[in-house]
Amino acid sequence: MNLLVLYCTHQTTPLAIRERLAFASPEQLTAAYSKLNERFPDTELVVLSTCNRVELYVARPTDADPLTPPLLAQFLSEFHGVPLDEFVGELRAATGAEAVRHLYEVISSLDSMVLGEPQIVNQVREAYRVAEKHGGCGPIIHTLFQGAIRTSSRVRTETRLAEGKVSIASVAVGDFAKSIFDHFADKVVLVIGAGEMAEETLRYLKDEGVRDIVVVNRSLDRAQRIATEWGGRAVPWSQLNDCLGAADVIVSTTGADKPIVDAGLFKRVRAADSRRTTFILDLGAPRDFASDVGKLDNVFLYDIDCLKKTCEENRKARVGEIDRARQIVDEETARFVSEFYRRASGDVVSRLMQDWHGVSKDELDRLFHKLPHLDEKDREQIERTVERIVNKLLHPPLEALKDEAREGTPHGLINALKRLFGLQD
Amino acid sequence: MLKTTVVCFLASYCCAFACELIQLKWRRALGRILALVFGAAGLVAQTFYLLQRSSVAQLPPLLSSDHDWLLVLAWVAVLVYLFVSLTDGESGIGLLMWPVILVLVISAQFVTSSTRLELDYHRRWGILHASMLVLGTAGVLLGFVLSLLYLWQHRRLKRRETLSGPLKLPNLELTERLNRWAILTAVPLLTFGVASGFGLSIFAKNGEVPAIWTDPVVIGSGITWLLMGGLFVWLLTQKRSPGRQVALLTAWSCGFLLVMLVGLQVLTSAIGIRHGTPASVPLEKRGQS
Repeated sequence: MNLLVLYCTHQTTPLAIRERLAFASPEQLTAAYSKLNERFPDTELVVLSTCNRVELYVARPTDADPLTPPLLAQFLSEFHGVPLDEFVGELRAATGAEAVRHLYEVISSLDSMVLGEPQIVNQVREAYRVAEKHGGCGPIIHTLFQGAIRTSSRVRTETRLAEGKVSIASVAVGDFAKSIFDHFADKVVLVIGAGEMAEETLRYLKDEGVRDIVVVNRSLDRAQRIATEWGGRAVPWSQLNDCLGAADVIVSTTGADKPIVDAGLFKRVRAADSRRTTFILDLGAPRDFASDVGKLDNVFLYDIDCLKKTCEENRKARVGEIDRARQIVDEETARFVSEFYRRASGDVVSRLMQDWHGVSKDELDRLFHKLPHLDEKDREQIERTVERIVNKLLHPPLEALKDEAREGTPHGLINALKRLFGLQD
Repeated sequence: MLKTTVVCFLASYCCAFACELIQLKWRRALGRILALVFGAAGLVAQTFYLLQRSSVAQLPPLLSSDHDWLLVLAWVAVLVYLFVSLTDGESGIGLLMWPVILVLVISAQFVTSSTRLELDYHRRWGILHASMLVLGTAGVLLGFVLSLLYLWQHRRLKRRETLSGPLKLPNLELTERLNRWAILTAVPLLTFGVASGFGLSIFAKNGEVPAIWTDPVVIGSGITWLLMGGLFVWLLTQKRSPGRQVALLTAWSCGFLLVMLVGLQVLTSAIGIRHGTPASVPLEKRGQS
């Protein structure tokens, strides 16, 4: 099998190198495909470039000269203008079945930074789509990537690898906020502080349909920056209490060295609407909300520690599913390889069957011509019998060919069959 | 018509409940499908059973006896379970719905299965009375299950627990809304049912139908109806109802109503007080006549 993957991932290569080798924009990808097609004609290829990996998949017909990792590394060096010796030691390569296994592991998120994360499936699909758009796909790549998508789907349905959230923000929104609220479009989200994790939480909340975002920060400029980025409004720190009273979801991530809200204050600011259900996500360390706030009716307070615990439990549950996921990857790799080699020998099989059935048909015509008294029913019986004989005689050599194809293209056997049965190229 | 017995559908429902319980630990599509299949099979068997009894009694199932009335209530509950499970397979409603259904089916074995001949004379009013009561009680039953689901979810969220296994509970906001609607729908139906019952009893005073004023089941139902009415008014007057309080009130009042209805029927049957009239006759005898 003439298939090669050259890659660098978060597990093998530092970010400083990965980002220099990445194909960050669609324009860069278009240029890359153009140069690759020019440099390696008659080659099927896919470029997969994400923040965690840069991978080049190339495939050629069996009888063509194989591409080698140095050739592709040279291309990367020239395209990105990075000296070869600065990254060549960080690259990894796999060929044949190992390349297939690598892709199937990547798409199943077994090679991801966060085990079971779903984004990689879309990233691989997108890479495949872009490759197709740029004429990079042929029969091998099509079969390979369709097999990859099937593998990922099997891993996700037959294992629990993707179950349970593993990042604090996703657990907070997915496991808890969504268990409280049915929809978020009419909810007021208050962000106190301007931490990175608050922004990540906002991303998840936005995905759920949040529209009304209020950002309060000691620095109004920073609040305004976040508000602009997420389509919200910035409010001065002095209005924090008013905002606390009107919010349904509160995400707090200030750098305060002691809690800024206690139960007494919270009760006072919500006196006008004390029955409002509130979800508070306290991402501050030390905490921004005193723990007694969580004891109030209709208030659900979560801090980083309790979310971390959930993340850890989910992570452990996912790790327990790795073996089953690898088993699926192995099955699908074997399926691809077997299919690939079966196709390679398929031509000989069809020609052999065509020849033998052709001979039998000619002989039967001659026989029926000599025996005109045979009626339609008798002819049919004779035809069926001869067909069965031909099939039975062909069965052993074809089975042998099929067995051999499981291990690789059976060149020896194919040549032998061609010579024995006079099959012309 | 296919001959079925209570054991047929009771066994199916037990299997469906077992499948729901198994899914607490091992959630697989097969378990969910099996729960639905057993539930649906039981429902079909129960439908045949009710039709069979109805044809013998020559009365609709709602009117034929207390036994049939409870089974109709269970039948409606199974229908609700199947609908909810088909629309949201991970709602966890089955875990709370099946015990209630099983209690209803088992209780039906301990209440009178004699027909109420008197209702034959006012069939239309009788059907209206019994249908309103059964639908209202089904609403109450749904409210009861929803409020339990709410309290379960509320407790989990307050304790910051992740659900063990892959079971998912409906969110608080949705459960609260559905619960509110279940009560707001059930109480008018019950009111209509009770009012039509009073209408029937007025005829009794004219000597056509025996009086029901002294019937313990009617008295008990009346008291709980007042309780439900109070909850109904309270819900309507609240601008923003505090979810947990609503769920607790609903769970208590609905639970009380269900226990009252089922418990009193079983009790009166056990001690020999006929809920209904002396004109009641065992179904078997009616079938022979």
